[in-house]
Amino acid sequence: MTLAKRVIVCLDVAAGRVVKGVRFADLRDVGDPVALAARSEADGADELVFLDVSATVDGRATLLDTVRRTADRLFVPLTVGGGIASADDAARALRAGADKVAINSAAVDRPALLTELSGRFGAQCVVASIDARRSAHRWDVCTHAGTAPAGRDAIAWARECVDRGAGEIMLTSIDRDGTRGGYDLELTRAVADAVTVPVIASGGAGSPEHVCEVFTRTGADAALIAGIVHAAEISVATIKGALAARNILIRDAA
Amino acid sequence: MTRVTIFDYGAGNLHSLAKSLSADGVSLCVRTDPLAALDTDVLVLPGVGNFAQAAERLAPARGAMRDAIRRGLPTLGVCLGMQLLFEASTEGAGSGLGVLAGRVTRVVAARVPHIGWNSIEEPCDPLFRAAPLGRAYFANGFACRPKSDASVIAWTAHERDRFPAAVRAGRAVGVQFHPEKSSAAGVAFVRAFLAEAAP
Repeated sequence: MTLAKRVIVCLDVAAGRVVKGVRFADLRDVGDPVALAARSEADGADELVFLDVSATVDGRATLLDTVRRTADRLFVPLTVGGGIASADDAARALRAGADKVAINSAAVDRPALLTELSGRFGAQCVVASIDARRSAHRWDVCTHAGTAPAGRDAIAWARECVDRGAGEIMLTSIDRDGTRGGYDLELTRAVADAVTVPVIASGGAGSPEHVCEVFTRTGADAALIAGIVHAAEISVATIKGALAARNILIRDAA
Repeated sequence: MTRVTIFDYGAGNLHSLAKSLSADGVSLCVRTDPLAALDTDVLVLPGVGNFAQAAERLAPARGAMRDAIRRGLPTLGVCLGMQLLFEASTEGAGSGLGVLAGRVTRVVAARVPHIGWNSIEEPCDPLFRAAPLGRAYFANGFACRPKSDASVIAWTAHERDRFPAAVRAGRAVGVQFHPEKSSAAGVAFVRAFLAEAAP
């Protein structure tokens, strides 16, 4: 047998609440993170991601409290991302109950951070989060919530992240994020083929079929879903049912 | 009350493991001193960190801990904690407990680390009858290579590399997966271990 494909639920968290907006704008309160995380696990989510979108000092302290309260009830892996800028930030998130940390802008600013984290906590704790935007001949890495081009090629950067110690790549297509038009299959395939660690596809899921195709048409190990489950429009169970119907290997949560 | 002690080697998340061990009748504590950790009814070696650092923290009590486990101290080793039951690891310097003969080496596969939900194959231990686990959550770049398969109580495979998902040496059980991250069935496995360790 082999590893099951993972369906990962991502919750954007600000000031102790799950929020949803279009790319960090017009944030709207959609619920309590502890309750939504527990519901996601019960619904069959293989992992959870909390993305801190508050990006303030107060917000960050609140996030750690949210992580603590969530970890009391959650028995699937929890990744925390958003604003982790140092090994100490990562240590605080892990101590609060996170299993992995996702590093984005801070790794672009200082790639050695990935090596430090991997040495201290192990590669399996370190998720390199890459936001990529299509340009004329390549995908550009963007930072700061997808607003700032970093002057790097996404495929080369993904390889470098792995060389420096990242144990997984979380790959978000800025072009697709929030569109519900499906994952960027070409980008996902290119990065999954270029690296030797698991790749989590992110950005654009709008239907169970989109999740199926990212698994059948790219080398992604996991698919991140956010918007489509927030308002309980499509449940994780529905998505997993669609995957099972296509003979894609999943964890049967029952 | 059953005293259950997690030996904390200073890296990572003990939160969920502690929570999964917090059953009725359990008095749980976390110790950073390996000798102090042996004053317990049940010892837990947690799963996060790297081998060299953990081996260094373990070093002052290595002989005492190995003897205690050999004399029958119920012990649960999770992931790295399982690997510490063996003699050494190619991940880093230092000696494991040597409760089981064999070494720990890197998983041989196109994608490493081995991260995700994998199947528990050929389970052959009362623990898996008490708490059946179809799939469990793994997050490991290294795997145990026991000298003898006799200690292996379940297997898993990543791509073409087959390695133990769980081992047993008397009352010590090592699991490569994270039961505390394997949802309700994983927590039930931890509880089954506790029930066996302190009936």
